[in-house]
Amino acid sequence: MRRSFAKLANLFRSGSAEREMTREIDSHLAMLQDDFERRGLSSEEARRAARRIYGGVEQTKELHREARSFVWAEQRVKDVRYGCRNLLRTPGFTAIAVITLALGIGANTAIFSVVNAVLLRPLAYNDPDRLVTVLHNGSGPVAAANYIDWRDQSRSFEAMGAAEYWTPNLTGNDSPEHLSALHVTQNLLPMLGIQPLLGRLFVAGEDREGSDHEVILSYRLWRRLFNRDPGVLGKTITLNGEGYRVVGVMPPAFKFAPFWAVKAEMWAPMALGNRIHDRGGNSLRVFARLKEGVSLAQARAEIAAITARLERQYPGTNREVAVTPLKENVVGKIQTPLLMLLGAVGFVLLIACANVAHMLLARTADRQKEIAVRTALGAGRGRVIAQFLTENLLLAFLGAAAGLLLAVAGTKALVALSPAYIPRVEMVGVDTRVVLFLLGITVLTAVVFGLAPAMHAADGNLSDALKEGGRGDSDSARRNRLRSFLVASEFALAFILLIGAGLMIRSFSALQSVDPGFNPHNVLSMVVSVEGTKEAEPNRRAVFYRGLLQQVRTLPGVTSASAINHLPLGGDMWDRSFAIEGRPKPRPGESPDAVYRIVMPEYFQTMRLPLRRGRAIAPRDDAREPGVVVINERAAQEYWPGEDPIGKRIAIEDEEGKPMWLTIVGIAANAKQSDWAAKPDPEVYLSALQNHDFLGEGGAYMTAHMSYITLVVRTAGNPADLAPAVKQTVWSIDRNLPISDVQTMDRVVADATAQPRFEMLLLGVFAVIALVLAAVGIYGVISYSVSRRTREIGIRIALGASRTDVLRMVMRQAIVQALAGAVVGLAGALLVSRLLAKMLYGVQPTDPVTFGGVAIILALAALFASCVPARRATRIEPMIALRNE
Amino acid sequence: MSSEGADRIAVLQGTLDLIILRTLQTMGAQHAYAIATRLEQVSEDLLHLNQGTLYPALVRLEQQGRIKGKWGRTESNREAKFYAITKAGEKALAEETLRWRRMSGLVDKLLSEGA
Repeated sequence: MRRSFAKLANLFRSGSAEREMTREIDSHLAMLQDDFERRGLSSEEARRAARRIYGGVEQTKELHREARSFVWAEQRVKDVRYGCRNLLRTPGFTAIAVITLALGIGANTAIFSVVNAVLLRPLAYNDPDRLVTVLHNGSGPVAAANYIDWRDQSRSFEAMGAAEYWTPNLTGNDSPEHLSALHVTQNLLPMLGIQPLLGRLFVAGEDREGSDHEVILSYRLWRRLFNRDPGVLGKTITLNGEGYRVVGVMPPAFKFAPFWAVKAEMWAPMALGNRIHDRGGNSLRVFARLKEGVSLAQARAEIAAITARLERQYPGTNREVAVTPLKENVVGKIQTPLLMLLGAVGFVLLIACANVAHMLLARTADRQKEIAVRTALGAGRGRVIAQFLTENLLLAFLGAAAGLLLAVAGTKALVALSPAYIPRVEMVGVDTRVVLFLLGITVLTAVVFGLAPAMHAADGNLSDALKEGGRGDSDSARRNRLRSFLVASEFALAFILLIGAGLMIRSFSALQSVDPGFNPHNVLSMVVSVEGTKEAEPNRRAVFYRGLLQQVRTLPGVTSASAINHLPLGGDMWDRSFAIEGRPKPRPGESPDAVYRIVMPEYFQTMRLPLRRGRAIAPRDDAREPGVVVINERAAQEYWPGEDPIGKRIAIEDEEGKPMWLTIVGIAANAKQSDWAAKPDPEVYLSALQNHDFLGEGGAYMTAHMSYITLVVRTAGNPADLAPAVKQTVWSIDRNLPISDVQTMDRVVADATAQPRFEMLLLGVFAVIALVLAAVGIYGVISYSVSRRTREIGIRIALGASRTDVLRMVMRQAIVQALAGAVVGLAGALLVSRLLAKMLYGVQPTDPVTFGGVAIILALAALFASCVPARRATRIEPMIALRNE
Repeated sequence: MSSEGADRIAVLQGTLDLIILRTLQTMGAQHAYAIATRLEQVSEDLLHLNQGTLYPALVRLEQQGRIKGKWGRTESNREAKFYAITKAGEKALAEETLRWRRMSGLVDKLLSEGA
């Protein structure tokens, strides 16, 4: 150790100090020699004698150097050695302190590594901070004609491109597949600045109709379909029955789009065709790169001006268009919950620090004598503090090492548990920033939990400590106050955490008890796509759908079966505007609209979605019959207040702008639509058997987007068991039909509440850790105080105090400390819960049940933790206690 | 501790600084050689000390600001670095002296009680 420091010292060996030293030694030797010469030695003898008396010159120089540059380092090494010995001497103390710190540091590191990956790391594109989205309300899709106008009229952007979700069927392989893909304008991928692994990106002209049958594969798709064959370029794959040439493969880390259509694994050029005039069909997501030097505010101002102009020209088409940094779209929704969790683990760490701090305080009291001796032997106050801080750092680093193990395991669990909604969670891992964070909080932790005890230690009065012969009753009032303060703050922090967790639990149970409107149990769902197969032919779809459902209904265990265009909570959701017969034409942008569902017969029965009035969509509502529609209760209240909607007619325009007239035949209960916590919007259910788009007889765009159905099958037993049989039924009709998204309705509902469940779970875990730590804290303090007061309690008992008196006296101390903490905690919780308000559902941030419950839990914890040492106090035998003196 | 003879005391850690400070306080600014000579005289050779080992202590004390060194000339016209005690050094000396008295008093007491 010393050698390596000496080597290190060479780095610091400054030339002038070195010369100075040589000069001083030479002068010393010269004077010694002079003396010897005066005593009669010859000059040569005198020189030798001088050297002998002086000791080794080189050795001295080395000592000199070490003293010069490494007094500090040497002392630290001594401190570390001494600290290690001390920690090893009290393995119990060390173990508990290390475990406590490991919990705190581990939880913080785990959450921070998630925050780091999700929030802090830049998006994996070139110069990602200049990437923005231009979307309705910041995240909604826009129409093609608007995109073209924005692109052509704006000057703030280097490039502006658009993407559209596309789910083609891949055939020609062993089993047909429903792929997630994007149609992108030619300039979009180059704008991101990521080069392909193989081949090229799209070039100009490839986004024209006729030359758009090319694809770029993701690395994963390349691996899955082509087993990483480097000769893939130029090969053709069959998508929706048409050939597409592979022109490129992207690198493994490439993902696009990052916040919507996140599963896309293939990109094809987007040919807008005659949609360049479409201002109504909102289906494009627009991405842009700011020009160098153009600020977000400038771009926003420009887009605001352009859209205001377009809005005047085409009313109702260009409202609320927002320019948003791409990253905000990616992490926006998750930012608050993640920061809240980071705050929560911060509290856990503070509690852990408080615990270790008073463990150290108690230990310091026991070490008074040692400190006094060290001080007597010349150690200054700073030196004693340094020694203590070194021990604390050792403890903290041991805790950090154990915490790192915890964090690695915890992070894995977090990633596994995390619902699909957390973007970029797959990137969670340990990088430099996580390591720096770990080191940072470790050192900070050591200072926080160690500084107060260390200063107290150094304050210890020498003669007092020695006089008392090490019994060290010198537990000063100040130290007692500090200890009480620590316990009180632990309870305050635990109170706040428990309130947070309690509110989340209450909110979650409120969410759980929400009625989705339908009965999700015993229902199996799966998506069957006809795109690109022979079933997609207009005259075949109705026959196929009807026939398929008939066969499914005959499967053993099936009680009813139906299908819908977009599965509630699990699928896409379209909003369409309509006109009400006999009412004046509404102003642009203010026409009534509703969630657009298209269902096969028996849908309401299969989903157990109750009908309030009228009738359901029936098998007879086919193309030969007049159009019918079932609306939900919300639509009835919103658009026909005080009227009976049944028998009224509405019109929805088809792709060419031709109205489809529909008569309202029934009113269904409100069902959850896409957001579990949201109140349902107005909704309309059309009959699939009379819908041109659904049957493949409408315009090209609608037909393409209506080329799949979601089967819903109600069963008597476990719905998952039925999946193979239903799949076989589909494939018995056509082996080329791709099936995807096979899931039970229960699963769909669970996924819809995954985020609040995840937040509740984590917050709950942290709150429990906090509670346990706080209880351990109060237990430690009370039992320590009992052991210190053994003599006093013995005297009290000898003087006639009853056991109950003793019990009361000891427990009063605990209760007072806990109560003080709870009062501060209450104030803190009121502040913090207001921050939580946005994440709560069906519960007020000041929920009295939560606050009351938490207060009771904490009081019980304090009582429980203090009653063990208190009972010990009552068993003190006065004679033994006094004799021990 | 020292193999050179049981009668000679190895310098207790921490006490060398005290001794140097005290020497400088009573004798005024001195160079290392003079300090070493003085120590040998006072201790009547009980204190065994390689004169070179003074240097680390001097460096340490100078770093702590308790002494200050300045180059000058000796009576025999040799150049040498003269060390003088500083204000901080005086203060430290007073504190250390007090500590030392207490400690030695305690040890004395313990030893005489034990006898």
